[in-house]
Amino acid sequence: MSFSRRNFLIATGVAAASGSVLTACSSGNTSSAGKAGQQEAAKAHASTVKIGTAEDSKGPAPEVSGAKKGGTVYLLNDDDFSHLDPQRVYYAWNSLAVVVLSRTLTGYKIGDDGAMTLVGDLATDTGTMKDGGKTWTFTLKDGIKWEDGSDVTVDDVRHGFERAFASFITEGAVYAQTWLTGSQEYRKSYSGPFKGKHLKSIETSGKSITFHLSEARPDFNYVVAMQSYAPTPVKHDKKQDYDKKPFSNGPYKIKSHVTDKSMVLVRNEHWDAATDPIRNAYPDEFDFTFGIEAQTAADRLIADSGKDQYAVSWRTVPQDRVQQATVKAKDRLFEDLSSGSSVYWINQTRVTDIKVREAIIRAWPTAGIRQLQGGTHRGDYATGIMSPLVAGYESQDVWGKLKNPSGDPAAAKAVLKKAGKLGTKVVYAYMNDPVNAKVKVVIENALKAAGFDVVSKGIDSTTWYDQIGKLDNGYDIYWGGWSADWPTGYSVFQPLFDSHNVVDQGTNYCHLKNPDVDAAIKAATAEPDQTKANAMWAALDKQVTELGAFIPDVYMKRLYIHGSKLGNVKMDPNFDGCMLYKMFVK
Amino acid sequence: MLRFLVRRLLGAVITLVIISAVTFMLFYAVPRDPARLACGKVCTPETLEVIRHNMGISDPMPVQYWHWLSAIFVGRDYAGFGHCDAPCLGYSFVNREPVLATILDRFPTTASLALGSSVVFLLFGIGAGMLAAVKQGKMLDKFASSASLVASSMQIYFVGPVALYLLVYQSHILSQPSYTPFTDNPGAWFTGLLVPWLVLALIWTANYTRMTRSQLVETLSEDYVRTARAKGMSRRNVFFRFAWRGAMGPIVTIFGIDMGVLLGGAMITEKTFSLQGLGMLAVKSVFTNDLPMLLGVMVITASFVVLANIVVDAVYAMIDPRIRLA
Repeated sequence: MSFSRRNFLIATGVAAASGSVLTACSSGNTSSAGKAGQQEAAKAHASTVKIGTAEDSKGPAPEVSGAKKGGTVYLLNDDDFSHLDPQRVYYAWNSLAVVVLSRTLTGYKIGDDGAMTLVGDLATDTGTMKDGGKTWTFTLKDGIKWEDGSDVTVDDVRHGFERAFASFITEGAVYAQTWLTGSQEYRKSYSGPFKGKHLKSIETSGKSITFHLSEARPDFNYVVAMQSYAPTPVKHDKKQDYDKKPFSNGPYKIKSHVTDKSMVLVRNEHWDAATDPIRNAYPDEFDFTFGIEAQTAADRLIADSGKDQYAVSWRTVPQDRVQQATVKAKDRLFEDLSSGSSVYWINQTRVTDIKVREAIIRAWPTAGIRQLQGGTHRGDYATGIMSPLVAGYESQDVWGKLKNPSGDPAAAKAVLKKAGKLGTKVVYAYMNDPVNAKVKVVIENALKAAGFDVVSKGIDSTTWYDQIGKLDNGYDIYWGGWSADWPTGYSVFQPLFDSHNVVDQGTNYCHLKNPDVDAAIKAATAEPDQTKANAMWAALDKQVTELGAFIPDVYMKRLYIHGSKLGNVKMDPNFDGCMLYKMFVK
Repeated sequence: MLRFLVRRLLGAVITLVIISAVTFMLFYAVPRDPARLACGKVCTPETLEVIRHNMGISDPMPVQYWHWLSAIFVGRDYAGFGHCDAPCLGYSFVNREPVLATILDRFPTTASLALGSSVVFLLFGIGAGMLAAVKQGKMLDKFASSASLVASSMQIYFVGPVALYLLVYQSHILSQPSYTPFTDNPGAWFTGLLVPWLVLALIWTANYTRMTRSQLVETLSEDYVRTARAKGMSRRNVFFRFAWRGAMGPIVTIFGIDMGVLLGGAMITEKTFSLQGLGMLAVKSVFTNDLPMLLGVMVITASFVVLANIVVDAVYAMIDPRIRLA
């Protein structure tokens, strides 16, 4: 099974966050390193993912205080979207725009505090589960229209799922395809709807659509919230050419899109707010300009003149602009936890002694690393790998990282000595860039102080995942980032710790092969009660942390800036950028 | 004059054919698979096969080139993608649209940038050069010479951000650089391009100041100028009818070449001011391995340089009648 390519996005996030280093250091943010206050934020987000009722799924979305309709919002971005065809959307960057064009069966209603409630978006509720999660039925709401005024039908919903099997759809999520065919080589079972064949595992009747899955998936209602499973109108499907200007059933439609240059979204007059519990859609228009570098965008937004007062960027504030932004545009900055977690993997096939792993973790200079990578802007100290934005998150601090984020080489040395492993050689791999070159020195010093013989090896950042993904990679410790595809534990723990994924270029980067962990993943996956399942994932977070599979680093944060004439510019907890559908023009 | 133009145009066509053939060979004869490069980052085997077919990869290189060349006059079908009407400069499989459509979309930005800045640097450059030549050895001459030396040693990537910071971000005197079509809003077109024009002109003005001054100083010292003055012709008449006209020949030549280069896309300027012109398109095409697009941009750029040279030759011939016989 192919999993979260969003981890590459996390890698990008690291580059952006690490950019904040110099400014953050000089702006005095260092003082807050290790303060409990930073961890309060992480705790506040815990357990704020819940499944809503049919009542929650009714529109319109709750009004934003002080908001008004109208105006144009300008987006200053460096790159055009890699894909807009919903079936080809996987990266969060694309989802930020597609979420106002392509509605899905379910979606996330975001509260003022960032809390997420899974609700029916196109569907009347979050679905009805049978057979322990092997059968799911959703019923479409009345009054949902495409941009030409025609109804969104269950045929369109089915078509969205079926065209995901077509050979030209190579970029979207693949979860449902596997479960609908019972095979990881799903294209051998079904090649898409363009030759007139439908999937036998999807049934439609009236306004209802039923999915028959090959395995119990009690969290399937989360999965169908991914844009990869949005409907596509049968009669307007232009296959590959659909990507540039997809048909909308959301509050906006594409008026124009010039590749790599610009895109204009205007209101879709056939969208009915009464059917939509998620989107407010206050502005009349969104004007995207591409080709604006992050530094230029930050300069313009800090200057806040003319049209830029109505602008926002989806690129984080770059390193050399953070201090200026915090001084000149303090009220227009917004920072929040992103969906990504940062860790350092410990290679289980090479570092087999748990005591050696414990010594590495206890010696690890997390505070010093965070300091070099942007201080508090980099993120909150992590205690495990499960992000606070994932349902069921619990702070546990197995290794005392919250109490002593600086690490304790003396205690680590004692552990190593007791195990008779003083002088153990460890190979640390790092990304060959200026920030990580500094981080390497801090890590080397800490591990040497703990009695290790450290060898550091630099890897080019463009081949990072290729190198560490090798089964015989030759490294003991290496960085990794991960972001869940939907906010439950499955898309964190199954790809990262299931022993089946210990393969060349597999996603089990630490090579953990533990039957207890495998069994726990299986049990949590099959648990139909999502509250219980969430608790099981949280327990698993503690379990893999205790096994020393990784060194917890930070729950990553992102820092953005917007113009002064925009209100309620808030971060989407799923897609790590601001929500177009909740902001307004003052 | 007509014979002269026809001869030059024929020469230009041959030059362009040679340039396009060499560029085509360079792109398509390299060891890497051009179809795979054109297919983009995410490329399915099916799409790759269609692109291979469309590019005619299995054909001999001259045949491939002939298909590309003939498409300019008769258009070409790209199975699975669509028809590219004549004049067809190729099809971008990355953007899924004809190359020329994208180039035509970007060209007005580049043309506006080139024309506007050239008006500014010609006015100020030639004006300052004339004043320096007339006031040779005086304070004004020394100031103009020194200033032009400083300005010509500056770079867009330095002056651009400084100008943005001072004139736009800090003082809000000028507008944020942007491109609005002249036909949509002439005012927004002018104000949006003013900063790029001024910055580009600052650097180019210096060259023209120095060139005009040196040409005029040289011409003013010619025997025929002294003779004209000795015969009683006024200083103004001598300056404009003899000296200025004589000095302008080389300047027109240089301007023609500069204009061709500017119309081909001022990459650094466009990047500095986030303007989506031909320069940015070329850079983007390099990063996305969009060979058909890159080939199209290069041919168009070369065309501008060649055409500008023809125009220059014609203008030069008008200024200096001796050229017509050459």
